[in-house]
Amino acid sequence: MSKNNESKNLDEKLKHYRLSREEYERMTSLLGRAPQGVEWALFSALWSEHCSYKSSRVHLKNLFSQSPHVLVSFGENAGVFDLGQGERIAFKMESHNHPSFIEPYEGAATGVGGILRDIFAMGARPIALANYLAFGDVDANRMSTLIDGVVRGIGGYGNCVGVPTITGQTEFHRSYNKNILVNALALGLFREGEPVMSARANGVGNLIVYVGAKTGKDGVHGASMASESFDTGGESKKPTIQKGDPFYEKLLIEGCLEVMRAGIVEAVQDMGAAGLTSSSFEMAARGDVGFKLDLDKVPLRDSTMTPEEILLSESQERMLLIVRPENFEKLKAVFSRWNLDAEPIGAVTKGPHVELFWHGELMCRIDPKILTYQAPRHERPFDKWLPRHRVLNIQEPSFGPDRGDRFDQQTPNELLNILTSPLGSSRAWIYRQYDQRVGAKTIFDCDESVGVVRLPDSGRQLGLVLGGRPHVMRFDAYVGGMDSVAYPALELAAKGFRPLAVTDCLNFGNPENREIMTEFVASLDGMNELARASSTPIISGNVSFYNETMGENITSTVTTGLVGLGDPILDESSHLPPRSSFQSVRDELYIVESAQLIFTGLQGERRDHSPSGQGDLRAKEVAEFIQVVRHLSLSRAVRSTRVVGKFGLPYALARMCTAQLGARVQWQPPSKQNWFSETLYQVVFAVDSDRSFEWRELFNKLAANLNINIVRLGEVSDGSLAFEGENRWSVPTVKLRQAYETPWEFVP
Amino acid sequence: MKPVGVVRFLGTNCDQDVFDAVAAVGLKPKWLWYQDQFDRRDLAAVILPGGFSYGDYLRSGALAARAPVMKSILDAANHGTPVLGICNGFQILCEAHLLPGVLLKNDSLRFRDGWVKLRRVGEASAFCNVKESVHLPIAHGDGRYYVEEDQVKQLFDDGRVWWRYEQNPNGSLDSIAGVLNDKKNIAGLMPHPERAMFSYMGGTDGRDFFTSLAL
Repeated sequence: MSKNNESKNLDEKLKHYRLSREEYERMTSLLGRAPQGVEWALFSALWSEHCSYKSSRVHLKNLFSQSPHVLVSFGENAGVFDLGQGERIAFKMESHNHPSFIEPYEGAATGVGGILRDIFAMGARPIALANYLAFGDVDANRMSTLIDGVVRGIGGYGNCVGVPTITGQTEFHRSYNKNILVNALALGLFREGEPVMSARANGVGNLIVYVGAKTGKDGVHGASMASESFDTGGESKKPTIQKGDPFYEKLLIEGCLEVMRAGIVEAVQDMGAAGLTSSSFEMAARGDVGFKLDLDKVPLRDSTMTPEEILLSESQERMLLIVRPENFEKLKAVFSRWNLDAEPIGAVTKGPHVELFWHGELMCRIDPKILTYQAPRHERPFDKWLPRHRVLNIQEPSFGPDRGDRFDQQTPNELLNILTSPLGSSRAWIYRQYDQRVGAKTIFDCDESVGVVRLPDSGRQLGLVLGGRPHVMRFDAYVGGMDSVAYPALELAAKGFRPLAVTDCLNFGNPENREIMTEFVASLDGMNELARASSTPIISGNVSFYNETMGENITSTVTTGLVGLGDPILDESSHLPPRSSFQSVRDELYIVESAQLIFTGLQGERRDHSPSGQGDLRAKEVAEFIQVVRHLSLSRAVRSTRVVGKFGLPYALARMCTAQLGARVQWQPPSKQNWFSETLYQVVFAVDSDRSFEWRELFNKLAANLNINIVRLGEVSDGSLAFEGENRWSVPTVKLRQAYETPWEFVP
Repeated sequence: MKPVGVVRFLGTNCDQDVFDAVAAVGLKPKWLWYQDQFDRRDLAAVILPGGFSYGDYLRSGALAARAPVMKSILDAANHGTPVLGICNGFQILCEAHLLPGVLLKNDSLRFRDGWVKLRRVGEASAFCNVKESVHLPIAHGDGRYYVEEDQVKQLFDDGRVWWRYEQNPNGSLDSIAGVLNDKKNIAGLMPHPERAMFSYMGGTDGRDFFTSLAL
C-alpha cells in the first residue's frame, strides 16, 4: 500500500470513530503503539466530548463546589449534600438534547431514566424530578410533534417509576427550532443510616456483576453521536437512540437500594453514555485497580452482537456492581426477588490494566487511565467578555410610583396577548401529564413557582426550583450566568427557603467556535461568581456542546437546579410558605427591590427589538438581597410572594391574580422604560394589613445600610387588575385567567 | 385490631404511601408480597395500592390480577373481608372480575394529574365513614370507567356506584370514579385518598377512608 493510501485509510478511520489527527497522535504516544481493533471504539467513546468533557474540563475545575456540607461533588454519579439530622440528598441534572430531537418520546424518557440511575447509584431513593425544556417556535417544522413526544416521554417514564415531577421550566425560541433542549433533574434522599455509595471499584478478586436489562444493539455509538453537530441526517441516526423501560427501572431501584442497605455491594455505577465501556473503565480508573471482563458473559438480547457493539451499547436500565464473592449469592437472591438477573462478568484485578476477553481469548489490554484521566484537554480559544447590549451605569436608578411617561392604548391588550402567547401562558397542559404527588411528600406542585416536598423524618421542607433564562443569556451571557443562580435562589428565598446547592447543565453550540466558547466562559464565570457570593456550592452537572445544526447554534443556555431548605411541618398548625397568588382582599402590596440592571427583556424580543439595557449585577449585593427576601418571606404577615421576571411587573401581578382576586396598584413604569421591561431584581409581597406595620419594621431592620428599596404598590382587590396614576388602565381578572389558561393552538 | 394488608406487586409505586396512611391513622399496616399467599383470618382489611404493576404490559392490571396473592384476596373477599383497590389496584380488581367493568384509556389519551371533587352515591360496607363530598388527587392514564350500558343502570339501582366525579376528568361512563361489588365489601376507587391525609398535602379528605377501617 502506498503511503498516500495509508494516510487516506487512517483519515477514514478517524472520521468513522469521530477522532481527530491530534487525538490519534496522543493515542499512539500514550499506548506506545498504534491502537488496534476494539481499542478504536473505546477511544471513540471515552474521548468523546460527552464522556471526556475535553473542551470544558479546564474551566469546570474552577467551579465553587466546596463546603463542609458537600459530601460528594464532581467525579461520582451525582453530588451529595448533607442536610443535617441524618438526612442527605443527592441531586443532578443532565441533558438529553440530541436523542430527544431525533426521537422525542424515547429521548426524553431515557433522559429521565438515566438521571434517576445516577441518583440511586449513589444509594439515594429518588423523591423528586424536574425538567427544563427549550423548544423552538411552536409552528416550526416538527415542533408540535417534538413538544408532544417529549412531554409524553417524561410522563411515561416518571409516572411509571413512581417519582413525582414537582417543578419545571419551558422556554420557546427560534434558536431551538432544530435543536431542542431536554434537561432532566432528579433528587434523591438518604435517610439516617443509609449509606452513600461510590463508583470506585475496589478489592482484588471482587466480582464485577451485571444487573438489569439485557444488552441490545440500541444506542451503539450514542455518546460520540451526542458529541457531534447535527447535519441533515438526523433520521438516519434513529438506531443510535435507546429505548427505555420504566418498569425495569422501578425494579432496579428497589433491588439496588435493597442490596446497598444490606451492605452487600462495594461500588455501583450505571451503564449510561458509552454503556459498559465507560462504566467499567471509569470504575477501574477511579479505584486504581484493573478489571478482567468476559464480554461473552454479558446477557444479550441479540446473540449476533459483536464485542464492539456489546462494549458500546447504550441499552437502558443496566447497572455494574462490584461485589465480594462471599456476598454474591445473597445479592443474587435479592435481585431475583425483584425478577432481575445478576450475572458475574468478570473480576477486579491488581491492575493497572483492563483486560477484555471474548470466549477466553484476550482481545484488548489497556490501562483505563489512558482512556479516562489522560483524555485530551482542549484549551479552546475564547475572548474576554465585553457587554454588547448594555451600558454599565444606570442613569436613573430610582424606581417608584408616578414616573410613567408613554402610555399606549394597546397596553391592556398587550398584557392579554402576552398571557395567551406560548411565552407567557400556563404550562398546566404540560405538567398535568406528570404525576406530581406520588410519594405523598408534595407540598407545592408545578402550579407554584417552587416545588416543595416534605422530608419524612425531620418534617423539614425541601424546595426545588430550576433556573437559567435564555432571554437573559441572549441579552448578556455573563449576566445570564449570574441570573441562572440568582433568579432561582430568589424564588426559593421568596418562599422562605435557604438556597443550599446548585446543579447545572451547560447547553452550548460548537465549542470550536470562538464566540460560543467566549459565551461559555463568561456565563460559567457569572454563575460561579454568584454561587460563591451566595454560598451555594455547585455540586454536580453536565456539559452539552455541539448543540448546532447546519451551522446554527442554539442560544447558549445555562440551566440550573437549586435546592433550598425550609422550616419543618410537624403538625396541622405548622406554617406553610407564602403562595404565588393573592390570598385575601386588602392585603397590602409591596415591591422589594435591589434594582441593579434594567433591560428590554422578553417583550423587546417579542417586538423584534435588539436587546438593550443598563446596569451591572454585583454578586455580593444580589446575595444580600436574597438573604433579606428570605427573612421577609418567613414572616407570618406575608401571604403571597412572587419574583418579578419575564415581562416585568404587570405580568407578575397578572400571574398573582386569581379568578376572583386582583389588585389596585399605584404604579407606572420608570421613565423611558416600557411597561414590560425587566428589572433585576424585584419581588412582590402581599402582606396581611393587620400586621404590615411590624413587617415594615422588619424590613427596616434587615435592609439598613443595604442597597435595597421598598415601594408600597397598592392592595389586593376584587375582580380586576388596575393600574392607577397618570395612565390608568385595568383588566378584569376573569379575562386574565382566561388568557393565561387558554393553551395556544396545539394539535400534534 | 388486626393489621391491614397492603399488597405489593412488581411495579406498584403507591405502596409506601398507603402503608404510611394506614399507620398515620393509628392502624397497623402489613406488607403482602404478590408471590405469597396469606390467611384471611389474620387481616382486618386488604388494600391494593396504585402504580404500574408489570409496567401496564398487556392491559393495566391484567397481569397482576393473575398473581398468586390474588387467590388469597379472592378467598378473603368471599368471606367478607373489606378490600379496597386504589387506581391501579382498582384496575386489578376489575381485571380479576372482583368488580364489574373495566378502566380504559382516558378520553384525552393523556395521563392526567390534578385534584377532583367527588360525590358519594353508594355505601361501602367498610371505608364508609366518609363525607358525601370530597376533594382528592387523581393521577392516571387509564381511568375511564366503562361497563356495558345495560349493566350500568343495574349498578346504580343496586347502589354499587360508589363515587362520581363532579367534573369528569377522563370520560368515565356517567362520571363514575368508584364502584362496589354486590356485597359492598370490595371497593375500587380511581383517586388517591392516601395523598390527602394532611393539610400540607393540599387536603385531608382522604383520612376518613382509612379511619373508617377502625370502626
